[in-house]
Amino acid sequence: MGTIGADIVIQILREQGVDVIFGFPGANSLPLNDRLMESSIRHYLVRHEQAAAHAADGYARATGKVGVCLSTSGPGATNMVTGIATAYMDSSPLVALTAQVNTSLLGRDAFQETDIISMTIPITKHSFQVKNIHDLASNLREAFEIATSGRPGPVLVDLPRDILAAQCEPAGPVEETIRNGYKNGSDGREAIERIARALNQSERPVVIIGGGVKLANACDLMGDLIAKTQLPFVTTMMGVGSVNAANGLNLGFIGSHGFELANSIVHQSDFILAVGTRFTDRSTSRIDEFAPLATVAHIDIDPTSISKNIKADLPFTGDAMEAIRTLIPMIEPRDRTDWMNRIAEERTSVEEKVPDRGCGPAGTFIRRIQEALPDDTMAVADVGLNQIWTVRSWRTRTPRCLLTSGGMGTMGFSVPAAIGAKIGAPARSVVAITGDGGFYMNIQELATIRYYNLPIKIVVFNNGHLGMIRQIQNLFFDARYNSIELGEGTDFVAAARAFGIPSSRIRVDNASDEGIEALGRTDGPYLLEAVVDSENFVFPIIPPGRSNVEMIFGQAD
Amino acid sequence: MTVEERTLSMLVNNRPGVLSRIAAVFSSRGYNISTLCVAETINPDISRITLTSSADSDFTEKIKKQLYKLVDVLEVSDFSGPAFLHRELMIFGVKVTPETRIEIMRAIERFGCRIATMSQSYYILESTGSRPENEAVLAYFDPFGVEEMNRTGSVALKKIFEAATPRT
Ligand SMILES: Cc1ncc(C[n+]2csc(CCOP(=O)(O)OP(=O)(O)O)c2C)c(N)n1
Repeated sequence: MGTIGADIVIQILREQGVDVIFGFPGANSLPLNDRLMESSIRHYLVRHEQAAAHAADGYARATGKVGVCLSTSGPGATNMVTGIATAYMDSSPLVALTAQVNTSLLGRDAFQETDIISMTIPITKHSFQVKNIHDLASNLREAFEIATSGRPGPVLVDLPRDILAAQCEPAGPVEETIRNGYKNGSDGREAIERIARALNQSERPVVIIGGGVKLANACDLMGDLIAKTQLPFVTTMMGVGSVNAANGLNLGFIGSHGFELANSIVHQSDFILAVGTRFTDRSTSRIDEFAPLATVAHIDIDPTSISKNIKADLPFTGDAMEAIRTLIPMIEPRDRTDWMNRIAEERTSVEEKVPDRGCGPAGTFIRRIQEALPDDTMAVADVGLNQIWTVRSWRTRTPRCLLTSGGMGTMGFSVPAAIGAKIGAPARSVVAITGDGGFYMNIQELATIRYYNLPIKIVVFNNGHLGMIRQIQNLFFDARYNSIELGEGTDFVAAARAFGIPSSRIRVDNASDEGIEALGRTDGPYLLEAVVDSENFVFPIIPPGRSNVEMIFGQAD
Repeated sequence: MTVEERTLSMLVNNRPGVLSRIAAVFSSRGYNISTLCVAETINPDISRITLTSSADSDFTEKIKKQLYKLVDVLEVSDFSGPAFLHRELMIFGVKVTPETRIEIMRAIERFGCRIATMSQSYYILESTGSRPENEAVLAYFDPFGVEEMNRTGSVALKKIFEAATPRT
């Protein structure tokens, strides 16, 4: 057996440091699956291709390395689409390998053929369909380069079966390529000097930390900046956990499900230093009423993010790490006692108005879960009320201790992403926190957890409803509840047992320690069904079409 | 913001799929491409795409940045306005009768059109010019009975030559 295309794929994956793939095979991917048998790369067989993409994404978020997923052509490839889009929206570096029909069959509607390249153009940074064995190595190398450079994101490589099976020579050394596009420049020192001057003059500054700070590995430096300057800061939801400041400078996260204090202080500020955020509508709500008094300095690696949503008065396009490093020595100390006093006063009044951080018993419950688990536990939130409860209540200690699908809001993300996170960071403890609705979406991955014996904890908040949609119907559709009832039909404890995973059920508002202890104590996987009242919403929230300071605090009925 | 016709000229790698990625940048942001012209440059590895789109003034800067994110886009320039030479080719068929023949022949000469092919009662004419020039030509011939028309999108080049511009 000489070298074939599949061996080249494995050779390049190894060269790029890949030792794990999440995938699901099919006839067209078999040449590769076959050769993976002898390679040192572990192929984790998930139970649905969407889970392969989410797991690779979770792996990337937990480790900062590129996640790799693999599917067959046609239905396998289309099943990965949601996972690829999720990674795209949160700038998670991913290489998605899809098998394809033989090149001679392309365009003939062959069995299991699909034009996955066209389908994924809007949700990938770039994609390759390898039509010539001589391009295989360079296309794969470029895929990794593109996935990780500048603003990270997913790249798809479509691999026709005959290319995977073709006889060839092993790949040669890396060649220089002349592609443009994904290499990002930097605006230079003057732009940072302008930002520093404006910041030094400001009376009421605030820093907004986006998810890009984590992606740039700039959390420590950002921490230094905050510590040195004593600037108050907020984060976006994706930025939660970037900087660990228990000293009153952290005001929480902004946006439609964010903290009243954070939204209010941003609104009153006269200067914003925003780093690694694209000012999504989830963070800003109405852009015409966002921070009306502030001069906005915006640092981002992606030139298209600057002034896309919020006009940047002082833009800097470039790496956050480099920008912050340049900025720190330029910042002068300044007395801002009035501003800090105002923040302290507001904090006190908000804490009275919004007890339990707006999460009710669910928030308290999440904190008890956290206490029962090791300090370094990563929480992987799903989407819905459970996500907001988690992001608002989890005490974030390190940048990668909270993973969530922010940009896309993909239900079903948490369980497969937790699988990827656990495999990427085996020494850390991982808990997936989900609602019953989201849990149904990838429940089959319990089988993967059991098969590989992954010690993942799962908390399923069972409110019998699509809770967050119920809250929206409650508030904005006159409490006319429709198409949201899941009922109490499923015994999740029995379901978990059916998958071979020990489990128990408790009520959130009357939680005995027993279930929580069992969750913390069990060595292998464990599922805790947490029954929660369907009227347990999250407050405050911002109605659609309103500004960040028009939060509402109670329900309709 | 005022909406106007903008011309973008870009150099791209001559590879399959590039055009659909570029089209997706426009369509996903709700911009309509009014004309599009794609051809190889002197360097066969590189193609020039000239496209026009009606958009507000913010458009060019934003779309340029988006286009630069595409791996195969090498250069994007705004070729709107008088500093650039704009040309499109238009061919159209017009009915000719003994009564209108002389007037039509005069107009052909005055507008600098060419007869591409003809029969007794029908001429296919060829006109090269800027889009507004061609619009004027068409408007003039229309009353005689224009049956069909087909035109390319605009192609454009910078009018002022810099000494060492590469031949693309
Ligand atoms: C795949 C997908 N479909 C639909 C939605 C819309 N959606 C957002 S939250 C939500 C309800 C989630 O219900 P559940 O998982 O039970 O969590 P809860 O809100 O009750 O905590 C829905 C349907 C979504 N975000 N993702």
